[in-house]
Amino acid sequence: MKLFHQPLKTQKQPMLKYTISILFLLCFFNGWAQDEPIDLNPQDTIVRKQTYGLRVGVDLSRLIISQTSEGYSGLEFVADYRLKQKLYLAGELGNEKKTKQEDLYNFTTSGSYLKLGIDYNTYENWYGMNNSIFIGGRYAISSFSQTLNNFQYFDTNRYWNPDSFPNGSSEAVEFDGLTASWLEFVFGLKAELFTNLYLGGSVRIGFLVNNKEAEEFPNLFIPGFNKVTDDSKFGIGYNYSLTYLIPLYKKGPKKNKGEIEKENEQ
Amino acid sequence: MNKLRIAFIILIGIIFFSACEKDDICVEGDTPLLVIRFYDETDTINTKNVTTLRVVGLDQTITVNTFSDRTSADSLAVPLRLGTTSTTYLLIANSADEDEVEIGNTDTLTINHETKEVFVSRACGFIANYENLTPSLETDTDNWIKNIEVISSTVENSETAHVKIYH
Repeated sequence: MKLFHQPLKTQKQPMLKYTISILFLLCFFNGWAQDEPIDLNPQDTIVRKQTYGLRVGVDLSRLIISQTSEGYSGLEFVADYRLKQKLYLAGELGNEKKTKQEDLYNFTTSGSYLKLGIDYNTYENWYGMNNSIFIGGRYAISSFSQTLNNFQYFDTNRYWNPDSFPNGSSEAVEFDGLTASWLEFVFGLKAELFTNLYLGGSVRIGFLVNNKEAEEFPNLFIPGFNKVTDDSKFGIGYNYSLTYLIPLYKKGPKKNKGEIEKENEQ
Repeated sequence: MNKLRIAFIILIGIIFFSACEKDDICVEGDTPLLVIRFYDETDTINTKNVTTLRVVGLDQTITVNTFSDRTSADSLAVPLRLGTTSTTYLLIANSADEDEVEIGNTDTLTINHETKEVFVSRACGFIANYENLTPSLETDTDNWIKNIEVISSTVENSETAHVKIYH
């Protein structure tokens, strides 16, 4: 906390400040640089209403990776609905198909997923700003199939096959009717680029609750959950969302006791 | 505003690190070898060494790499041939060279097997297990192998014997 009481010190280091600013410029759009001026007039009688509505959009990362990566196609729609000042009902609906070449086998996972939960905004916006740094939780389900495209046997003894691992079947075997469900912790943010248009990003840590897999071939990838690691129930995912807010109504924040008393005095 | 920027940096950082994976090195498993034990023909409970045994796969130019050539032993572990349904070995007892010609007693053992793939781990992928082992011995005028018995018709590990050979 001490740092905040030394504003002069930072001003004495313009070069450092400058460097860091350039770093920010290189990384992100500085779209939120212009803000509404702060109204410091205590006599202000304007009711500061907040916009409530439905925010819908897509995940940009899945769109881009679908274009750039040969073994992947995926699409994710994201949406949230503002329930309270800081609380949002949030969800994602997506479809992914991923082909992965491991050392000795090649498989394709294909399926859809739905995630539902809440986001809680921890960011204190100044009036007029609509950015958020949120934490959230989701319950997610996925239904998918996994196809073993081909494989070679792992055999360290090379007596009969000195040149390569012996080929197993090259006939694709599909394991379908696979399902998984997991809990997800979300940390992310959204910044308003233009009026009602938001750019956001989030990372997600998933914890597998239920994983129905084929006996012969376990689930190595789950749509929405990402890579499944051996002997671990955790998975990591992320998204970059571009969303549009459909404003539905405006509502002022709940007045606290102090404010109401003040109004009565006047 | 700074809080938002810091959060952005953290977010980017987490995404970068999430791309790191643990090294996928296969340590969990391997395709098992077929274990053969040699027993006494008359005293069937006791094992009996085969003297200067040489083991060569059919149509192979080198001896099998799991057994030290021309040593005496009462057990033998050999790899089965993947991708086919039978593996043939030439088992040469009392192996020795005379004028660069093998003078040992050669018996030809063919083992028919079915192959079953077993998924071990993400790093290893599939290994093979064998099922329905059925050995057959090519009869010649002077077989040193008198009898063959299958103890375990499935090969899932190399720890216990699968086939007994009496001589």
